[in-house]
Formats: sequence, C-alpha cells, structure tokens
Amino acid sequence: MTILESAKAGLITPEMELCAQDEQVSPEFIRSGVADGTIVVLKSSRPNIRPVAVGKGMTTKVSASVGMYEEYDTPEGELAKIDEALRAGTDTIMDLSVRGDIRGLREQVLSRSKIPVGTLPIYQTLYDTEQKYGSSFDMTAQDMLDTIEEQAAEGVSFLAMHPATTQAVVKTSKEEGRLDPLVSWGGSHLIGWMVLHHEENPLFIHFDEIIEICRRHDVVLSFADGMRPGCIDDSLDSAQVQELVIIGTLVRRARERGVQVMVKGPGHVPLDEIETTVKLMKKLCHNVPYFVFGCLPTDRAEGCDHITSAIGGAIASYYGADFLCYVTPAEHIGMPDAADVYEGVMASRIAAHAGDVAKGHPGALAWDREMSVARREMNWKKQFEMSIDPERAERMWRERSTSFTSECTMCGKYCAIKIVERYLRPDASKDKGTVVTEEQSA
Amino acid sequence: MTQSELARKGKITEEMEKVALKENVTPEFVREGVAAGRIVIPKNIHRDRENICGIGGGLDVKVNGLMGTSSDRNDMIMEAKKLLMLEECGADAFMDLSTGDDIDAMRKQSLSISNIAAGCVPVYQASVEAIAKNGMMVNMDPKDLLETIEKQCAEGMDFMAVHSALNWSVLKALQKAGRVTDVVSRGGSFLTAWMYHNQRENPLYEYFDDVLKILKAHDTVLSIGDAIRPGSNADSLDAAQVQGLIVAGELAKRALEADVQVMIEGPGHVPLNQIATTMQLQKQLCHNVPYYILGFLATDVAPGYDNITGAIGGAFAGMYGADFLCYLTPAEHLGLPNEADVVEGVRTTRIAADCVNALHRRGAYEKSREVAKGRVNLDQKAQIENSLDPEYLTGRFAAENLRHTSGTGHKHTLMDVAADYYGIGEAVS
Repeated sequence: MTILESAKAGLITPEMELCAQDEQVSPEFIRSGVADGTIVVLKSSRPNIRPVAVGKGMTTKVSASVGMYEEYDTPEGELAKIDEALRAGTDTIMDLSVRGDIRGLREQVLSRSKIPVGTLPIYQTLYDTEQKYGSSFDMTAQDMLDTIEEQAAEGVSFLAMHPATTQAVVKTSKEEGRLDPLVSWGGSHLIGWMVLHHEENPLFIHFDEIIEICRRHDVVLSFADGMRPGCIDDSLDSAQVQELVIIGTLVRRARERGVQVMVKGPGHVPLDEIETTVKLMKKLCHNVPYFVFGCLPTDRAEGCDHITSAIGGAIASYYGADFLCYVTPAEHIGMPDAADVYEGVMASRIAAHAGDVAKGHPGALAWDREMSVARREMNWKKQFEMSIDPERAERMWRERSTSFTSECTMCGKYCAIKIVERYLRPDASKDKGTVVTEEQSA
Repeated sequence: MTQSELARKGKITEEMEKVALKENVTPEFVREGVAAGRIVIPKNIHRDRENICGIGGGLDVKVNGLMGTSSDRNDMIMEAKKLLMLEECGADAFMDLSTGDDIDAMRKQSLSISNIAAGCVPVYQASVEAIAKNGMMVNMDPKDLLETIEKQCAEGMDFMAVHSALNWSVLKALQKAGRVTDVVSRGGSFLTAWMYHNQRENPLYEYFDDVLKILKAHDTVLSIGDAIRPGSNADSLDAAQVQGLIVAGELAKRALEADVQVMIEGPGHVPLNQIATTMQLQKQLCHNVPYYILGFLATDVAPGYDNITGAIGGAFAGMYGADFLCYLTPAEHLGLPNEADVVEGVRTTRIAADCVNALHRRGAYEKSREVAKGRVNLDQKAQIENSLDPEYLTGRFAAENLRHTSGTGHKHTLMDVAADYYGIGEAVS
C-alpha cells in the first residue's frame, strides 16, 4: 500500500508519526491531510532520510536546488553547496544535474542526506540520450520512463515532470504571444522535442505508466509547469492557466491511483496577482500542496532575486502556498556558488516563516513572541539563540559595536526600551543600571 | 506660501511640475492631490535642490534612508559617506537622526552635501541638549523643544518627524494593553518618560498649534511620528497603536486645515495578515494623507536580515496604499548600520517599492518588460539599463562572464528547436 492508500484506509504509518512529532500535531492530523491530499509526506526508501510533511497546517517548507550544470561543475562542488544549504536550514534538496556523473552524485546525495531529495528526471534523460545516440533529439518516450523508474527506485522522494505541457498549451503560448515562452529548462527541451517530432508530450501520453511507477515506489509526483511565467507580464496568461487546468485533471488521476501529488508554480507574478494565482491553483488542483518558485513580483532586481522572491514567497505562503523553492542572488545571472546557496535558503526561510506567522501557525507565533520578550528584556544571548541565523546575528552585533558601553550602537545610551522601562515596568528596571539613572548622575 | 496653500488656490507650482514630469502624470493631478492632502511635496522654502519628489496617492512609492551619529558611534565623516551612498543608491529622501556630539554641525553638513529631501527628528536634539543644559532629559523645557523645531525648519529641513500623537489617552491605553514590547520609538520613549516624570501632557500635543505655525512658515512637511508603533508582531493593532492612530488622525485634520503638508509615520512590526487592516485604518482615520512606514517587518525573528523582513512587509503594504518606505538595513536590532548596510538597505527597499510601482502599469512595469525582453534576447545591456541598480548588475554580469571565456562552440539543443518555433532566435540556455 502507498502512504496515501494507508491514509485513506485510516492507517497511521511510521512516517506520519515522525512528521507529527516534527510538526507538533497529532498523527491523525497528518493522516487525514494525506488522505484528503492537502498534505504530502516526502519520504524515501533510504533509512538515513527523515520524512518531511508539506501542506496545510504544516510549517511552510523550503527547498534548495543544486546540480552540475556548467562543464566545470564537480560532484564535490555540489556536495559543498548541499552542506551550505543544510547549514542554512533547508528542508529538502533538489539535485538538478544536467551533465557529468549524474548518477554518482545522486548516489552520494541520497546516501548522505538526512532530508528528502527531489529530482527532475528529464534532465538526466537528455544527458543520457546525448551520450547514447549522439543527440538528445533521438530521445524516446521509453528513455524518459526508464529514468523515472531508475530514480524512483533509488529513493528519490519527489519527482518533478511536465506532463501537462501539451501541444495545445504550446500552441496557445505561441498564438497569444507570450513574451518569454522558454523559462522552464526541462519544459523548454520537451517543447523542442514535441516540435521536432510533431508528437504530443510523451509524459502526457504515458501518464498512466508514470502513475504506475510512482505508485510502485510510493514517490511523490511533483507537477512542474512548463508554462511558468518568466516575467510579470506573462503571469496568469492563457498558456499558464490552460496548463494548470490540465494539471488539475492529472492530479485527480494520480490521486485516484494512490499516488501523492504536489504542484509546482511560478515564477514571476506581480503583487496583485499572487492571491489569484494561489487560489486558482488550489481550486483547480483539488487543494494539493503548492510548491512555488518565487514568486518574483518584479523583473528589475537581477542579482538580488533572493529578495524579490522572499517578498513574493512570503505573500504566496500567506495565501496558501506550502513549499518555497529557493531563489539565490545568482538567479538570472549564472549558477549559484556556495555563498549564494546559503543566502538563498535564508531568504526563503524568512519568507516561509513570515507566511506561517500570517497563517497563524501556533509554533511560528510563539517563536516571534519569545524573540520579542528577549528584546524587551535586553537579553542578547537569548536574542541570538532565537534568531533565524544565530551566528550571523551575533557576528553583526559584535562587528557594529565599538565599545559596548551600551550594548547596542543603534541608539547608544538613548535606548527607548530602557528609558520607558523605569516608568512602565518599575520592577523590571530595578535590577539594571538604567540609562535614565546614568543621565541623572551626569 | 506652502505648496498646500498654493494648490488650494489652484496654482500649479514649479515643484508640482517637476513631480508630474517624473511620475508621468499631469501637473493638475499633482495639484489636486496636494490640495486634498493625498500628496505631499517635501520642499523647504529655504533649501534649493534639483531633486524634488512627491509622496502619496497615485504616485510611485518612495524610499527613505536613515543616517546620523549616535552616542556610541560619533563619526561625522562616516555619516557623510553613508548619506552620499544612500543618495547614490537611489533613495528619494533621508533622515538625519544624529544624537552624537555636535548635532548642529552634523545637520548642516547633511543639508549641504545632499540633493534629496531631508528630514530629522527634533525631539532627539532637544532631549540630548536638555541633558547637557538641565542635567536630565526629563527636564527638557517645552520652549526649548519648540525652538529646536524652529531652528531646524529655518535651516532647511524638508520634513520633520514630530511625535505629537502621543498623549495621556494613548499612554493609558498602553498600560492597559499589556504589550510584549512597550515603546520602541526613541522619540516616543523620550516623551513618555518626560510625561510620566513631569506628570504633564506631551508638549508636542499641547502646543500643536505652535508647531503647525512654525512648519507652515517654512513649508516643512509634518510627519506625525509614530511614538507608539508596535515593536513586535504580538503588539500589532493593539489598543495603544489604534488610539495613537486616532490621535494622529485628529492632528492630521488640524494640519490640513492649517495648510500644513502632513503625512503619518507608521509601524513597525506587522504580520502579513494584518497589513490590509493597518493600511485601511490609517487611510480612514487620517483622512487619506500619505503613510510613511518603517517596514513593515513581517516577522520578529530575523535580525541580520531585517532588510528582507522589511521588504516583504513594505511591498505588501505598498499594494494596500503605503506611500513612503523607510529603509531597514541588515543591522536593524543589532547596531548602527555601516556603509555596506546602508547600500543593502536602500537596494532592498527599492526592490520592495518597485514591486508596488509595477502595479501602476506605467514606468516600472514597462521597465520590467524591457528586462524580460532582454533576457529572451540574451541582451545583457538591456537588462542592465532597465534594472533597479545598473552599476551593481554590471558588476555581477562581468564576474559571471569571466567564468565563460573558454568559447566552446554552442551545440544545437532541443531548446534551440523550441526557440526557433517561437521565433525568438537564440535559446535561453
């Protein structure tokens, strides 16, 4: 039985128990969420990987993507990036290698990782078929299915693919004059294959076989969006919406066969279209988890798109997005280095948490409150501990303080908290030499 | 005469013309906005400068940077550098928040080296000087405070944070509210201490008509300081904040009636789910005058990254009508920002503002389209020219391009086939 079938049968699996512990909810809460599709449990056949729950009522999760892309990328380099992503607190990893020793790297990642790993199988298929036939142009549907099977069998927790980027959707995007039709790397290659062979999307044609593979290995199917908007002007255009309608029907088919499903989303979305984007997806896709790549509400901040995407990601999360694919400062420029990976995960975690606070997640609210109490009490040690990045908070505090005469150089001795404490909380200020007293002696 | 008086008499001033040109709206639109109080143009009659900006309804969101000495870091040269940097990075205005040794000299320096709207907080200087003169900040003489306001206006301050919207009604609400973080505004804390110590009403509230008279004479924009802004998500929209906003609304009305240009300062820490309400309350209670916000910070737990938490809340607030974003730097909650923090703060806040400005479907949106076209056509130049920070992006592209000097021939891929199909020439690989 797949985990979805277990959930539907009323059974609580060990994975659900573990997720319940991490999320501080009852195992029954997880089970019912998995059963109705609002929660997916990312799990692996590898014992070293602890399952992670994504979806309604869970904390918003963050995923970091790495992978060999340039000729000079190496497995060691990518493993170093994964270490940085873990240090920054990512919830999952996606290995998106498109060249080199793809299998070797994936094996290392899967055997070492403590968190779920996702992939985009067509990346490997493109590379494999180039080696095998001399060109990926000759790639067959069977080649694609073989890779999906191979990766599912190895213990990858979620597989991303583009079965809904159909001929009809591609035609729409051309006719309607989409500004940037080639945004998704895998989707674009797939479109090239469809154009070249005058054939329907093989992942769409063979979708039942894909479901069967995912079912057999109990892997989460993650729908990628070939028509992800690549600029705010393309957001919610007909091609995107048409593809989403098709994704919704495929979601239903997969779930009916016992396969857990989530849907990947944009991308570049202006601020006033984020709510619609999330609600439309939830409605059409039967409320399964939404895994968004951004959202980026402006195109003009290349080099700082971790910030652009934190803005859009937090707002998307507030409206119901469940899972944020990180964006690094290198987005639209090149491939991220280890430092970019760290910054990207942190920015996404801040966005995810801001979304959780807005959703009223009890754990998120308690975390904010505890930090603020530490601020009022001027308990610096506690403030660092409660920081999303304790090491950075403490380092910045030290670096910006020259003398430490008054603990924080922002306001120096004119600290608002200390000045009013004497009047508003006379008991609390008795223990401390307050600033006001110092002034009196001056 | 103030911009407000002139606008109400139907006169379109040179400043209104400049704002209209920059924003791609009609001068009449700006005049109407100023007359109604929806738009302010910070421009002191004594200070000449080229770079004029309008703030308010229907205009692009503007960005303010902060600088100034503190008692712990009293380096005028460093603060001058920070000011030059924040102007260069594209801030529309700045506030000099100095509380260091020679506040007068610092302010003169700031006014002379900058070409953007200048603001300050008079109660800082008045409090610091009260300590020197009367031994204790709580011994500040209300007359000295008004004189400080007069002096700073006469020297050319374009806008000024005056914490008048704090009175006993607000402090009573505060005591009943049971906040997590009581008073986090520095000006607010000075005045709260003064009120308790002297058992008197806030002089900036009591003598508000005198404040208005001074500001009007110099056409300094009144920015009603948010003495009681929430310092944590838990305190957002509590009784104290809302009472403060009610008082601010009352004062905004009096300012509008006196032909003084006015805007309201706002929070602070606000969770995303309370932003729409916060904005609607401010606009309704304060007669639609511009809202100048510090943040909003969407979470309390990210010291070291509060430029980002502020950008999240600032952009969302902008969508709901916030007009003016005060930057947050990564050093917020940790210390006085250094030069790099200032750059990071302006850059981040401008991204938040641009997300909002794109919603007008005017200039910012068109530039976003041009960037996207540049990406499709692999045209780095177009991407750079239309970006928010061309100099920064030039550097990033240059570093990236250096990594690709090998010049291995491009292999025809399936993506190229797709690109041919769409007629976009080259693939985005």
